[in-house]
Amino acid sequence: MSDSPTPASLPSPSPQDGAPSTTAAGIGSLRLAIAGKGGSGKTTIAGTLARLLAQQGRRVLAVDADTNPNLSATLGVPAQQATQITSLPRSLMERQTQPDGSVKPVFVGDALRVVEDYGVSAPDGVRLLVMGAVGHGGAG
Amino acid sequence: MCGAHATVRGLLGELVTRSALDAQDLVVDMEAGLEHLSRGTGRHVSRFIAVLEPYYRSMETVRRIGDLARELGIADMQVVTNKIRNADDRTVIREYCLAHRLEIIGEIPYDPILLDAERAARPPLDHAPAAPAIIALRELAFRLTTPAA
Repeated sequence: MSDSPTPASLPSPSPQDGAPSTTAAGIGSLRLAIAGKGGSGKTTIAGTLARLLAQQGRRVLAVDADTNPNLSATLGVPAQQATQITSLPRSLMERQTQPDGSVKPVFVGDALRVVEDYGVSAPDGVRLLVMGAVGHGGAG
Repeated sequence: MCGAHATVRGLLGELVTRSALDAQDLVVDMEAGLEHLSRGTGRHVSRFIAVLEPYYRSMETVRRIGDLARELGIADMQVVTNKIRNADDRTVIREYCLAHRLEIIGEIPYDPILLDAERAARPPLDHAPAAPAIIALRELAFRLTTPAA
């Protein structure tokens, strides 16, 4: 498997896509959340699993949701390429009142557009989205 | 800070949901803490995996994560054990998991070559594709995509 630089991140399923997103054996979308203490090896495991799944021909999006993000290194994306999302456009955010009465900005946008706009290509065709510390963006 | 967390949680929850719809795999490297763990992210996760090392503080952390996941009604947490050096490590961690009803779905051996990869700033998969830890991860990836018999 080679690095595919295709920008087609997460399109809505298109007929010519052809990726075996569902295997013949019937395992559909696999959505793994990997947790653990810092230093436990969770990032190594997450990144390596993402690429191994992609090597099986599956479409894989890797998301770095750690506030100390280094999933890019495990995947093989140069650090300067893996820009973090530090702000999202105001239009993707809505200030909503929480059950506890506080008001917080809540994401109301199209998640796939965010991946298109902020995701980067990693080896084996994996797409990488680095969440960073997503703040209010233009909202204020 | 709170706003940032709410945003990340919201975006994560959306991504997980959309991946389910679009038949795309999603691998989320969660924050070391528990802040992202919420219904939004967890509800549509198909597997919630915690990495467990064979020493007490790691095991206690993972047990707490598992308790919280249960409280939040998130998919049952499963465990991948990591950095297993010998039979003693294996025994200790298996007994702990048994006692706390944690299901082990993978076991990764301690593998110093991963440290070499880190030092060389190379992905472990490229640095040492045949290393024991990588082989164990390959087996895990295969099991994850193979329906239980």
